[in-house]
Amino acid sequence: MVGATASRNGWIVWLTFLVGLLLSVSPLPIFMEILRPLWLALLLTFWALYMPHTVGMVTAFCLGLAEDVLQGDLFGQNALILTLITFLVLSLQQRLRMFPMWQQCLVILVIFGLAQLVQLWLSALTGNRQPTLALVLPALVSALLWPWVSFALRGLRRRYKIN
Amino acid sequence: MGVRLLVLAVLSVALMVVDARFDLLKPARKQASLVLMDAYWITDLPGRLWEGIASQFGSRTELVAENEKLKTENLLYQGRMQKLAALTEQNVRLRELLNSSALVNEKVEVAELIGMDPNPFTHRIIINKGERDGVVLGQPVLDARGLMGQVVELMPYTSRVLLLTDTTHSIPVQVNRNGLRAIASGTGNPERLELRHVADTADIKEGDLLVSSGLGQRFPAGYPVATVKEVIHDSGQPFAIVRAVPTAALNRSRYLLLVFSDNRTAEERANDAAQAQENLDAFGGGPIIPATVPKTVTSPAVAPANATPAAPAANAAPTQPAASKPPAAAKPPAATPAASKPPAAQPAARPAAKPPVSAPATTGRQE
Repeated sequence: MVGATASRNGWIVWLTFLVGLLLSVSPLPIFMEILRPLWLALLLTFWALYMPHTVGMVTAFCLGLAEDVLQGDLFGQNALILTLITFLVLSLQQRLRMFPMWQQCLVILVIFGLAQLVQLWLSALTGNRQPTLALVLPALVSALLWPWVSFALRGLRRRYKIN
Repeated sequence: MGVRLLVLAVLSVALMVVDARFDLLKPARKQASLVLMDAYWITDLPGRLWEGIASQFGSRTELVAENEKLKTENLLYQGRMQKLAALTEQNVRLRELLNSSALVNEKVEVAELIGMDPNPFTHRIIINKGERDGVVLGQPVLDARGLMGQVVELMPYTSRVLLLTDTTHSIPVQVNRNGLRAIASGTGNPERLELRHVADTADIKEGDLLVSSGLGQRFPAGYPVATVKEVIHDSGQPFAIVRAVPTAALNRSRYLLLVFSDNRTAEERANDAAQAQENLDAFGGGPIIPATVPKTVTSPAVAPANATPAAPAANAAPTQPAASKPPAAAKPPAATPAASKPPAAQPAARPAAKPPVSAPATTGRQE
């Protein structure tokens, strides 16, 4: 994608995205389905924060299209959501990197919550409106998962010297 | 950066509109799904491996017990099948008397569930048969106990099935006891369907079996859909509230049946039947067995294959005693149970789940 030539070990980034795609369709017990974290959004957030020149909105758009095909949504629905998330993260990038972890979690909760509301709006337009606001729960779970994801990915990044 | 967001947002909105309104993007989707749908297969792999290992190390006593159980079940079903053959035959005769169109036999093929839709608010599943296997859009899907749903998206080797209980799904049904027609809508709860607009005075009660009526021209008639769980008469409401439980194990079944319904006209069926009969005679045939003798074949493609030759067309039936091929004799050409062979006039298999429903003549037609 954008400036992929400049990055070292960039394939690992793509590998994490692949794992994210798998996680986003992996079978879960029914009661956990509504808590499924937004794996792709989490990964995109991390890589956009630390490698803004490699991972950007175009990457997010392509991954979103892939997710649309997987989930059988309208072409472009998840693409719009992920692009929006990446845009918000990129525009807050300088500040977000300086924040302590709990504050990062809060910001991510807000961003993902917004994105999920857009998701609700889009699915209402396509005719299958969810009856509850339970779809904000994934944003909460993702925000709670953020410290661990960020810790793991930072370790990965240091280990393979991805930049 | 803002410009890029704007461009991408407009692009995705445009894609959404085009995808919702036109078929333009379907080929692209299919191509992408060719690669991407493997994700479901991969995420399903650990479970399948575990199953494989468990079956490897399953104890002998367990296997013997399971074998016993299956044998008993098989016996039970075969007993029912015998009756079914007789009833089918009788039904065809009665329909001839009434001059109404004959019962249509459907072919079924086994598919396996490979994934659930990750969105918890929709009830959709992914199965491992797709366009290349002859699946068509809107095709009904059953499990061993009843109707499950219909195919809503085709991909080359997989397809997406919308379950009956999805909030966007409704199916025309009728009460098996008295033929009362209604529409069963999904509620988003995998254990509940609701009958909409049923009059307060309608004759429907707890425990009634609802079968598909075939009126929507999409689902074949006579398959069990649900059993009525409660009927609430609320004088403040214009209609009775009727709740039903789907008979199919919507969130538990792993093996499903795809129904290939016969969309030939009665005349074509008659011609095909005559053709097949000629072929059979030319081939030397075998002893002609009356149709009431059930013949059980177990082939991998057609699951509970009970070839009950309900002579397909009204004008072909009375003259020939609906010959069926001998069970294990040399294979006549028309006897390969292949879904891709339209002129095969050998009676298609019907699943064991189908009860001997005598649907009212008004709802019998389904071509």
